[in-house]
Amino acid sequence: MIQIDNLSFGYTSKKLLYKNLSLQLETGKIYGLLGRNGAGKSTLLKNIIGLLFPTGGSISVNGFVPRKRLPSFLETIYFIPEEVYVPPLTIHRYVELFSPFYPRFNKEQLQEYLERMDVQTIDKLNTLSFGQQKKFIISFALACNTHILLLDEPTNGLDIPSKKRFRKLIASIMNEERMIFISTHQIRDLDNLIDQVIIVDNGDLLLNASITTIADKLCFRTVDEWHGEEPLLYEEEHLKGMSIVTENVHHEESKVNLEHLFNAITDNPVMAKTIFNK
Amino acid sequence: MNNVFNLRRFGWLFRKTIMERPVQLLGLMLLVIALDIMIYAFCKAVSGFDLAQSCSFVIGITGGGCFLASFVYSHFASNASGSSFLTLPASTFEKWLCGVLISGVLYTAIFLLFYKLMDTTFISFYHKGLDAKGPFYKELYDRVQPFQLMGFVANKTYIMFFNFAGCMLIGTLYFNKAPFIKVALVVCAICFGAFLLNLLMANMFFKDVNSAFPYFFVYVTEGSQTGRLELPTGTLKNLNTVFEYILPSILWLLALLRLKEKEF
Repeated sequence: MIQIDNLSFGYTSKKLLYKNLSLQLETGKIYGLLGRNGAGKSTLLKNIIGLLFPTGGSISVNGFVPRKRLPSFLETIYFIPEEVYVPPLTIHRYVELFSPFYPRFNKEQLQEYLERMDVQTIDKLNTLSFGQQKKFIISFALACNTHILLLDEPTNGLDIPSKKRFRKLIASIMNEERMIFISTHQIRDLDNLIDQVIIVDNGDLLLNASITTIADKLCFRTVDEWHGEEPLLYEEEHLKGMSIVTENVHHEESKVNLEHLFNAITDNPVMAKTIFNK
Repeated sequence: MNNVFNLRRFGWLFRKTIMERPVQLLGLMLLVIALDIMIYAFCKAVSGFDLAQSCSFVIGITGGGCFLASFVYSHFASNASGSSFLTLPASTFEKWLCGVLISGVLYTAIFLLFYKLMDTTFISFYHKGLDAKGPFYKELYDRVQPFQLMGFVANKTYIMFFNFAGCMLIGTLYFNKAPFIKVALVVCAICFGAFLLNLLMANMFFKDVNSAFPYFFVYVTEGSQTGRLELPTGTLKNLNTVFEYILPSILWLLALLRLKEKEF
């Protein structure tokens, strides 16, 4: 479990990126951390893994304080940054050198994940394309079987078929012991994958709700014209009419559109908070 | 689980560090060795064996050691490799010790072995080239002897190595890009500043200062004679202890603290 209490963080002491952020993340879920460029998504992940230290408040990850970077903590969590690092080694040699650090690493699983992600090579990893490198690291990270997996913009650099494979793979390896925390601004890549949505903007936590709660509180519709009484959180005109997001006052069933949700929440944070706090 | 030091885990880390970038690591060592041969040969041709031995030893140990020290923590040149290094499940102490062993022990051992071999080879060629029946054979033969690895020059060089390599280790953890150049500039600036300060102080206390070098000497000219001022024996001994043991220990341990507090 990740427990964040009153987290404050800033790259300079004068300008804080996060101020008194509190968040609780539980195992068995896939979290989607959404935010604009520069909203502080990577910063939050780096605070959780212990690459950056909070200026105020506290973070506890399964009882560990991340900033201590203890081996017993690091072997339970894997962080994949937006740009991955692969040394000039073959897959075989990479596994030989890096896997001993992760006690739950499973070689057969790695083989399976590599096949599913379509990474098959005997060449050195640094000669592969960026997308291939990223797919290898994702497969390796999953085979390490850490309790927590932090992914920063995992679909950046992946082609369309690879994005689909990524989603399928992540969904298939999920279990009650694991927690996956995915940060992205490519919202569509997380469609049908995440259980809980977290939206941050300008260091504020705008939303932390499950997909079920979101569907319960908001209504996502496509209409020709809107004459309803509920105020619009978001509207977007297109060829087929108008996509809108409103409060779900009549308990209608609708499919959550992450992109529209994100725009609705970031455009009308106060109204959104009022709806979700009801 | 021991979160500070575990021999098995340290073995994995050491193996990973060596095998991860073998070409760069060995290439760097070979480059230093090749440069050292050239320096030895050049100095021998220009000035003879004394300069060749001292110069190549000082540059090889201090320069090469600093190069290696800047390399062992060079992961921070990119976001990806820096994150990978810091989040690898090994303790900060183990990561620090790995860098210290590679730059401080492994490189030094390899270089000393190589240096002994190189020096012996050059001297042996010189001895073989002498005319054994010549009138000055013995004198010429005895004039060139192997470099004393525990002699005065060597000992001063080891002190320089431990101080400069310590600076380089810390500097690499502060400057993520081009640490070798940046640390070298900072160290040069500090040395130059110390030199100027020393000269200023010397001029304040003594008239007709001829030259002054921090820590080593102040030369004063009186009439037609020049005299060397030295520190009192006790003070010099204490100062030597600072440069030989205390300062290097502080520098190398500061690298550990910096690595522990490194944010990336």
